[in-house]
Amino acid sequence: MKNINFTCPFCSLLCDDVQLEIKKNSFKPVNSGCSLLVSSLKKKINDQFSRVNGKKTNISEAITELSLMIKESKSTLFTGMATDIKGTKAALNIIDKYKCIVDHFSGDSYSKNLKSMQETGGFFLTLSELKNRADTIIIFQSTGEELPRLFEKYIFPKKTINNLKKRKVIFIGTKVPKFFYKNKKIINFEFIKLDSINLLNFLSSIRNSINFETKEAKDKRILYLLDILKKTNYGSILWNASEFQNDISDVIINEINLLIQDLNKFTRFSGLSLSASDHVLTVNEVLLWQTGFPIRTSFANGFPTHDTNQFSTKKLIDNKEIDLVVWINSFNEKSIVINKKIKNVLIGIPSHPQKNNVDIFIPVGTPGLDHNSHLLRVDKVVSMPLKKIRNISLPSVDQILNKVKEGVTDDN
Amino acid sequence: MIIKLENARIYDPINKINGKVKDLYIKNQYIVDKPKSGEKISKKINLKNKIIMAGGIDIHSHIAGGKVNLARLLLPEEHREHLYPSSENLRSGSGLGTCSSFHIGYKYAKLGYCAVFEPAVLPSNARSAIIEMSDIPFVDKGTYTVLSNDDFLLNLIQKKISQKKINDYVAWILNSTKGLGIKIVNPGGINAFKFNQRALDLDEKNKKYGITPRSILKVLTKSLIDLKAPHPIHVHGCNLGVPGNVNTTIKQIKAVEGKPMHLTHIQYHSYDNKGDRKFSSGASLLAENINKQKNITCDVGQIMFGQTVTASADTMSQYKNHHFARPKKWICADIECDAGCGIVPFEYQDKNFVNSLQWAIGLELFLLIKDPWRIYLTTDHPNGAAFTAYPKLIKLLMDKSFRDGEFEKINKEAQKSSVLGNLKREYSLYDIAILTRAGPAKVLGLTNIGHLGIGAKANITVYNNKEDKEEMFENPFMVFKDGNLIVKNGKIQKVFNGKFYTAETDFDKKIEKEISSYFQKYMGRGMESFKIKNQELWDYGIETENIKCDRNDY
Repeated sequence: MKNINFTCPFCSLLCDDVQLEIKKNSFKPVNSGCSLLVSSLKKKINDQFSRVNGKKTNISEAITELSLMIKESKSTLFTGMATDIKGTKAALNIIDKYKCIVDHFSGDSYSKNLKSMQETGGFFLTLSELKNRADTIIIFQSTGEELPRLFEKYIFPKKTINNLKKRKVIFIGTKVPKFFYKNKKIINFEFIKLDSINLLNFLSSIRNSINFETKEAKDKRILYLLDILKKTNYGSILWNASEFQNDISDVIINEINLLIQDLNKFTRFSGLSLSASDHVLTVNEVLLWQTGFPIRTSFANGFPTHDTNQFSTKKLIDNKEIDLVVWINSFNEKSIVINKKIKNVLIGIPSHPQKNNVDIFIPVGTPGLDHNSHLLRVDKVVSMPLKKIRNISLPSVDQILNKVKEGVTDDN
Repeated sequence: MIIKLENARIYDPINKINGKVKDLYIKNQYIVDKPKSGEKISKKINLKNKIIMAGGIDIHSHIAGGKVNLARLLLPEEHREHLYPSSENLRSGSGLGTCSSFHIGYKYAKLGYCAVFEPAVLPSNARSAIIEMSDIPFVDKGTYTVLSNDDFLLNLIQKKISQKKINDYVAWILNSTKGLGIKIVNPGGINAFKFNQRALDLDEKNKKYGITPRSILKVLTKSLIDLKAPHPIHVHGCNLGVPGNVNTTIKQIKAVEGKPMHLTHIQYHSYDNKGDRKFSSGASLLAENINKQKNITCDVGQIMFGQTVTASADTMSQYKNHHFARPKKWICADIECDAGCGIVPFEYQDKNFVNSLQWAIGLELFLLIKDPWRIYLTTDHPNGAAFTAYPKLIKLLMDKSFRDGEFEKINKEAQKSSVLGNLKREYSLYDIAILTRAGPAKVLGLTNIGHLGIGAKANITVYNNKEDKEEMFENPFMVFKDGNLIVKNGKIQKVFNGKFYTAETDFDKKIEKEISSYFQKYMGRGMESFKIKNQELWDYGIETENIKCDRNDY
């Protein structure tokens, strides 16, 4: 038994301060109670077989089958895409060559952020800036469940470069994060209860007050927040698109981005979107540099065509606009949508519960557990190196996809 | 295998060859001496009437990193306008100013460029920027790491820590981020903006640290000299884009007291504030200073008319300029206690007074700075224009009648404010070879590129000799990279990756104790996760070429 340093791949905080107790190939966190880490490490691997039509087979046969399927497909969607930089690069190598479409598990929520970025831009910050500089932090409806240690490490840190003694933390939304209640004796925060629709009105009123100095009678909460904003030296606003009411989330995000831009006219403010589940930001960054476009891009015309509505996984599967879907998930057992009228492939971790329900299942390891890897943090700026710690011979997504591409090319 | 390129006219300023007809021999990726009799020449290529220069070197071009990706994210419309289909051996892609990675490599190769340097890599973003650059084929690459605004360094300077310790920190940063050089961006200003200071002149104090840009500039300039770094300090100074900033630029030149300094995109730092509009050309003033100060090198950052996007680590300046965004959207970011980033789309218009004068100022600088070895051709891609505008820019420098014709088209008031029409100088092919090859290689301390002497990499561009220099430079007849024919008549032949230059330097390892503790307390990750290891680069097929810090001509 020994202890090792570990960089955790299971959320986009990519904490590298974790120590694991290692016994053969089982691992236990020594210094972290992060629920996501604990549950992720507990997953039992009963077998590592590939499957074709639910029947166990060897990996090379499964790869050959997948190569054949891609070759025969008229339109293939790669989605889920829960993978690392190398996995994304290997996928795009096929997607570009064989004129496929690419989306991600977080496509629905992340595309709301995309839309706002493409329309108005924004003013952003990274985690260390959040930790060290912000004297006011406003959190819009983000329970933090996707990033379990966000509050502990970055919102209520022990030390900051700027020796911030009195940080104002204001939570605006419907449900206060569990962390806040658990730690209410040692942290200070304020709560303004608002659902998505009222939040939108609230944001608009704040923006009106800042931009037009309206003198109409105001909600006390608005006056209170305006007072705080005026006293702020450096403020941050955090939000998570997936936790807003879906049909108006893009409008809310736009208002937040515009509010931050407005605030910078007289003080300093910046924002951070917390939509980062299943490493959508890593995938998106590689897509942007290799193709010029983010997720929800098709290569059917031989060049990239980006459309956040047209290339949504749900829409493509429901309308059978594709005949093959390749799901990739090297981190967890998130459920996938299976439409029996099209071919379904899952490149996933060996414990995935739907491995018998797809046409082809190919098991892969997890970045940072089974192979060295690079992933981007929630702020998109910092990329972290992750090291292999487990020896159970599970291939990586890029190893599988590079073989698949060879197979497709060979058959030509 | 030996390849002989025969009968071409050669322009190779490092070896003082000015248009002489001469044969070149390539063997194992390098240029070699004439083979001994009996040694077999496998291939002879007759290049009669053609012109040969070494592969081009772009000393300052924003080709990768978080800022470029943010610009791509912000501007899908630009990408939709410039779409590139995939083909048998090429990937698809899009964009011009923020072109996607593979096509940056294809486009540079087609222009005859073989080395490009990304000039603004933030320490915290270095790893992913370098991984991104591994998807830019053909060209050799390298980066300058941005310092001058990180809280750790400013704290050292505030405490008046010894120069030796600062040198250790700078060397540690170079090693950890795999940089070839160090770039200053608005020294102290990006940090000051985080404390809501909206401007910071050379002798103004940063609110938090109480230190001035001058002190940062001096300390870092000295550091690179003490370290014998391949490239002297690369400086994006204070007050970018501000009318009257030419005086600050001149003060900066004086501040380094004769020590080597590279001033980048000087066009944006050459503005005077005379005239009714309080905006005028400071090019003559700056050129006069640079002509006298032999320690100064510069690149221009020429603007060309049309749509582009500006991307910079200088959040203070970019925020100030966001009112000019076209289309009306912009992004800024405060980054990781080391710097920032700002993206503002821009359309330079030839009927607009300011834009016209910016265009003229850039050309004035090219024509008034006398020594071509100390001025290099850049558009600060994509800030002034995409690098694909280089052929037209070369024509403007080489052809006075064409230049005069273009000058006639710009805003009339700007014409009256510029001396450009009176400048008769025309660059020769030899001068262009200095501006785009020999000069950048020399200032970067790279001895195996930028020339065609024995032992140089066989990076060779063969041009058709055309009267129209834009046509000549935009479509080389042949381009060789490391001895391989990569482009022939505008068509890409074979795709592979170039090398990645890094500076190799030593430092007192004791500094890591302090840095490690700083990371532990404040940065949200450990120092070891910050340091880029060689193995990580090799995993992406990146081959490094380490340049020893032993420059002895400072």
